[in-house]
Amino acid sequence: MTVGRGVAVEVAGVGKTFLLPHGHRTTFKEYFLHPFHRTAYERQQALSDITFDIAEGEFFGIVGPNGSGKSTLLKVLAGIYRQDAGTVRVNGVLSPFIELGVGFNMELTARDNILINGTLLGLTRRQINDRFDEIVAFGELERFVDQKLKNFSSGMQVRLAYSVAIQVDFDILLLDEVLAVGDQEFQKRCFETLAEIRRAGKTIVFVSHDLGAIKEHCDRAMLLLNGSIQAMGDPEDVLAHYDALMHRDAVGPI
Amino acid sequence: MLAVIATAEFKLKYTGSVLGYAWSVLKPLALFTLLYLVFGRVFNLNELSPYYAVSLLVGIVLYSFFADATMLGLISIVTRDSLIRKIAFPRIIITTSVTLTAGMTLLINITVVGAFLAYKQITPQLDWLLIPLLLVELYAFTLGVSLILAALFVRLRDLQQVWELALQLFFYASPILYPIGFLPPWAQKLAFLNPFTQVMQDIRALLFYPDVASNRITAAGAFGGLGRVVPIAIAIGTLVVGYVYFRRQEPWFAERA
Ligand SMILES: Nc1ncnc2c1ncn2[C@@H]1O[C@H](COP(=O)(O)OP(=O)(O)O)[C@@H](O)[C@H]1O
Ligand SMILES: [Mg+2]
Repeated sequence: MTVGRGVAVEVAGVGKTFLLPHGHRTTFKEYFLHPFHRTAYERQQALSDITFDIAEGEFFGIVGPNGSGKSTLLKVLAGIYRQDAGTVRVNGVLSPFIELGVGFNMELTARDNILINGTLLGLTRRQINDRFDEIVAFGELERFVDQKLKNFSSGMQVRLAYSVAIQVDFDILLLDEVLAVGDQEFQKRCFETLAEIRRAGKTIVFVSHDLGAIKEHCDRAMLLLNGSIQAMGDPEDVLAHYDALMHRDAVGPI
Repeated sequence: MLAVIATAEFKLKYTGSVLGYAWSVLKPLALFTLLYLVFGRVFNLNELSPYYAVSLLVGIVLYSFFADATMLGLISIVTRDSLIRKIAFPRIIITTSVTLTAGMTLLINITVVGAFLAYKQITPQLDWLLIPLLLVELYAFTLGVSLILAALFVRLRDLQQVWELALQLFFYASPILYPIGFLPPWAQKLAFLNPFTQVMQDIRALLFYPDVASNRITAAGAFGGLGRVVPIAIAIGTLVVGYVYFRRQEPWFAERA
């Protein structure tokens, strides 16, 4: 089942609780009017006691209904959020993004956006220049490089974003529902590149609502529900569990 | 990375409107014209020195940089919440790059000051080479203040209004439009605790050396001997405090911004 040797990601007992906005947003006014008054926090437990490992070279899928904590988990892995319990150990270089097209600006050209986005993803200007043609060719966007991004369809934007993202050097790739907008043909090419990335021994953590893709591509999968792990292991089993759960919810009172 | 983001910010701010760019240069000039007419002409401060006008311009250009940079710095994290929720990278790059963008505007405004100096037929001196060093000190202080404000604004959402008010007070409390000689000695000392005042007075003293006394009053004059060390230490201290505080708050920016 596990392809590589070592452990790529080791998560132990991770918990994350958010203080809801009115809980921690204080103003000077409040400080002056009630200097000793402590606001009652409203808490939202997004993750509780999450423990799992991902092996090097594994294609690991995460599924679960909206609000179950999938994005929060990826953000904790990426270091965007700081967990308030447990530990995360990462072996290798993580992709710093979990969504594509970070920093895209509609008022700038595709060319400028490649530079900004690539830079945010950690590429040097030189690397971007060297890989520029490849990026544009993969997205099939040669004719559009000097057009403003606002003239791009959402599918074209995803193509551009994905083409930049796969140029980044990483050992572990985190993807949060990223391929939903592209057309069939482009999605197919994306999965081909993902397969190539795996053959290079790299690890992929893939959050998706595309259960077919999870079943087809993942070595293992995990089901999150209300911030806890409900099932983990063979994708078929996990998806069956998910299906039963959804079915039960759909039938019984929620 | 810093350069790319600062350039992009700069481009974004001013593409689509050549006017937008012109405005960032014209704003200090407009403020200057207004204040010059009121204080130079109506209140006759002009008569104190042949250099009153250009000395006021120097003050306003430096102040505009400090005000713009700290205001942009203050909102830098909170307004980029969607970016920082999606990607992990050192957040300090954001705040630094917006202050650098304000720095580019300062450089352009400095060329305007240069034109005034030429018009006044002031000949460049060798010791003007100290001016870039003074600007670096001002930048360090400005960046330190911006880092503190950026991290605090994530928590205190009315900080923007408070800081706007503080900048107004800062303007009138600093000897920008009145000569520092107007202040009693104890108030001069107090004013020179502010690195901004020290830098401004040092630059004025370098540019208008043969002028009346007040342009020659510098931190060294007010505190004696090594007096400059005090505001310089405050500038460096502010940068250190800003850096440490920012780094300590950084892990929670993504969820709070
Ligand atoms: N920055 C935040 N502040 C407060 N609550 C949050 C924040 N981010 C996520 N949450 C909450 O955490 C829970 C899990 O959200 P998320 O991880 O986005 O779920 P998913 O990606 O599985 O749809 C939700 O209840 C959501 O409202
Ligand atoms: Mg999500």
